Amino acid sequence: MRNEIENADLALSTVNRWKTSLIVLLVAAIIIGAFILLEINPWSAFIAVPEFIAFFVNNFLPPNFDNINKYVPLIVDTILFAVVGTYISAVLGLLFGILLSEQTNRFAWLRFTVRFVLSFLRNVPVLAWAALLVYIFGIGNMVGLIALILATLGFLARSYSESINEIAGSKLEALKACGASYWQIIIHGLIPQFIPAWINWTLFSFEINMRASAILGMVGAGGIGIMIQTNMRLFKYHEALSLIIILAAMVLITEYCTNKLRKLIH
Amino acid sequence: MSSPLLSIRNLKKTYDKHKTYALNGIDIEFDAGEFVVVIGPSGAGKSTFIRCINRMIDSSAGEIVFDGVHMEQIKGRSLKMQRANIGMIFQHYNLIDRVNVIKNVLYGRLGKMSLFRSTLGLYSAEDKREAYDLLKKVGLEEHIYKRASALSGGQMQRVGICRAIVQQPKLLLADEPIASLDPQSANVVMDQIKEITTERNLTCIVNLHQVDFAKKYASRIVGIKDGLVVFDGKPTELTEDMIAHIYKGKEEQMTLASQQHQVELSDKEVSSYA
Repeated sequence: MRNEIENADLALSTVNRWKTSLIVLLVAAIIIGAFILLEINPWSAFIAVPEFIAFFVNNFLPPNFDNINKYVPLIVDTILFAVVGTYISAVLGLLFGILLSEQTNRFAWLRFTVRFVLSFLRNVPVLAWAALLVYIFGIGNMVGLIALILATLGFLARSYSESINEIAGSKLEALKACGASYWQIIIHGLIPQFIPAWINWTLFSFEINMRASAILGMVGAGGIGIMIQTNMRLFKYHEALSLIIILAAMVLITEYCTNKLRKLIH
Repeated sequence: MSSPLLSIRNLKKTYDKHKTYALNGIDIEFDAGEFVVVIGPSGAGKSTFIRCINRMIDSSAGEIVFDGVHMEQIKGRSLKMQRANIGMIFQHYNLIDRVNVIKNVLYGRLGKMSLFRSTLGLYSAEDKREAYDLLKKVGLEEHIYKRASALSGGQMQRVGICRAIVQQPKLLLADEPIASLDPQSANVVMDQIKEITTERNLTCIVNLHQVDFAKKYASRIVGIKDGLVVFDGKPTELTEDMIAHIYKGKEEQMTLASQQHQVELSDKEVSSYA
């Protein structure tokens, strides 16, 4: 008996080894194939590194912070985009999250419709949304905000609905058993239990939105991105670098703050 | 002779489209004021049985007449109104653990409140007094503003009792209320269920798999095995042979003490591996 089991284990591990080698080979073949098809020479990319560094050091350094006052309103805009965009998506996302979860929405057709629409929203990148909306509404701040909301909504609603699925079940059974209505169960049972997940997912998407809102300007959708683009095109590399540094600092500070907030909330 | 509070006829439940039956035709009646303990090994259908009464699970066939209403026929608002008249206590307490203790108890009133009033927290003064008095009775008056998650298992179950009682139910259901508790907390919880139901002349149906507890508290014992009632009588009528019959092949589940023993044994095994 024992021997049989060991033999079976042995046979299984041989199969597994074959599988692993096959997968490694396949991945390698795809990577090499991609290099050939794209006509990329890894070697020339590699020897270009010193040249790249030299160009960067000569043209970008030191950063020029002289005109920074001019950019402050744009930086504030960028931060506000992320804040307002995340805020609105968090509220709408909860609504769609409830519609998306089979624990809270019994109508399969409605779930399916919502899931279809949200997958579409989610799978179009935020920059593509912005570029598209610029054509429809013209250049402006509103466009960036709508693009952010659309992209974030898809992501948040899905994450929320997964958290809702984990909560629903036994704990809410008690409220159902004492005759509570559907909305009473959601308001008194689901939402209190959902708050930590709600905050966590929302903070996470706020970090993503900070980065996204910084580049939205590149397609004319408002915020600091437009000035990075403009400075680069005018060969004002020193000024562009100062903006990039400010952007990086903004993102880092955001991450620091959200991490602090997470620790405060249980 | 008045009509029974709850009468169940030919109750059947299948989870797999009539291949196997969790409940296989149960006929039973309960009168007001009874303290019924349903015993049987896990998988016998106790949980399904008790949940069919307040329609947490929909039965496949049969009649459930509670307080003159056919439970199997109603839905929507009238179902909620009937549920509001049936209190329930759960094995895992099922408190909303991020909400404080007194609110958890007041949630028992949700079935009798409008969405508007409950959302704004407009519980009546009577409800609040009753919730507080009940918590005081079970010895939790110092914990009323704590989050439910800060309590011990035994304390959580006592909150669960208060939540069920504040409903002012006509029937109390308890599904394995002590299965997750240590023996001392189990005694406290069972004592309090017994005391409160006796005081209020409240009918109570408790699922337990521990025979020793059943004999100690029940005014009537019902034995379920393979989805059928195999014993129905006074605790004194429950013979050793009958117990052996009900638990055949699952003897280790009969008492809380022997379970504890099992746990200790398995702990020992674990430690000997370490």
